[in-house]
Amino acid sequence: MSSRKGQKKAAQVVRAQIAREKRRTRTIITSIAAVVVLVIAGLIGWAVYSSQQSKTFTAPPGANAGGTGILDGNGPVTIDLYEDYLCPVCKQFQQVNGATIDELVRDHKVRVIFHPVAFLNRFSTTQYSTRASAAAGCAAKGSRFKEFTNELFAKQPPEGSAGLSDAELIDIGAGVGLDRDDFGACVNNGTFKAWTAHVTDDASKSGVTGTPTIKVNGKELTDKSPEGIKAAVAAAGK
Amino acid sequence: MTVTAPSTRAIQWPAVRPWLGAAVRLGLAAVWLFAGATKVGDLAASGRAVNAYQVMPYEVATVIGAALPFVELALGVLLLVGLASRLVASVSTALLVVFITGIASAWARGLAIDCGCFGSGGQLAAGQAPSYLPEILRDLGFLVMAGFLLIWPRTPFSVDGWLAGAAPEEGEDE
Repeated sequence: MSSRKGQKKAAQVVRAQIAREKRRTRTIITSIAAVVVLVIAGLIGWAVYSSQQSKTFTAPPGANAGGTGILDGNGPVTIDLYEDYLCPVCKQFQQVNGATIDELVRDHKVRVIFHPVAFLNRFSTTQYSTRASAAAGCAAKGSRFKEFTNELFAKQPPEGSAGLSDAELIDIGAGVGLDRDDFGACVNNGTFKAWTAHVTDDASKSGVTGTPTIKVNGKELTDKSPEGIKAAVAAAGK
Repeated sequence: MTVTAPSTRAIQWPAVRPWLGAAVRLGLAAVWLFAGATKVGDLAASGRAVNAYQVMPYEVATVIGAALPFVELALGVLLLVGLASRLVASVSTALLVVFITGIASAWARGLAIDCGCFGSGGQLAAGQAPSYLPEILRDLGFLVMAGFLLIWPRTPFSVDGWLAGAAPEEGEDE
């Protein structure tokens, strides 16, 4: 009686052990499967991103040597401006400081590099930041970058909207004296979109995380007022 | 009535737990799927958002930023079907801890950035102040969900449960 009971117990133990091993094997296999899925997902992301990176871009005429912005002026002190055409604070910045910066350029005190970055694409439904920046590249090609930039800020669409259409951008360009056919084709073809991506990546790489950002001889300014800019330029020019 | 209330609650817990677990699993799946989906459309921006934390070189940040949305989507799908729930919960926990650490460190260093948690952040829109505390609290909430699944990974309607078949599980014995 007792020996049969013992056999039964032994069989139970063996069964439990087999079940445990089965369970362990299953856990290992499902875990490996899940890890493989996660790793493959990551690699897909990397591959997609790499394929999106266009290594070739053409900088518009009037750009600086690195092709990261449009150059204005020939003074000894360098001002870097990083602005997004959709950014309302950039519009304010231009209204408050535009005349001061123009004056510094006219007096041959500074050279300004304007970087039209596309940081805020997620705040429009049509990638307005990229389209506006690429259109500004087209305007640079027609030597009307500054005029076009001022008009874009004056007619800035609100965040969260569709932004200005390509047709509206072309109208604005024609309004500041650009050749409608040339400029229109450039905007419609997205000729400088790859350049915009380059400008944006370069800004990120150099530590710019917001717009507007102004650097004087490479140093970021916290006092973004006409007085602050003048003082920084004067200090850098010494 | 007031005397019996605690005891009924105690009896209910084993019955409620699997269903609560399923809800948590599907909830966390939704979080990951949403987080991944809002980033996947603009991988360059996702890389910039990672770079904005300024904790790694730009090249590394762009690769992580590109891989992250897809990993998040994969985590969401794995949770949705309930495959290897404990492992996925532990990966989720690890990721959330990294996110919370990142946000806290950005806060501590005085960076003014958007966490880039849902959608590609990095830069703040006009007049937008960083909202680090709500972001951290939200992620802590997700962390609790992941922790729940880490402790009780077996839930109804999961591939794990289906693979286990009718075999008794430790989780169900408790």
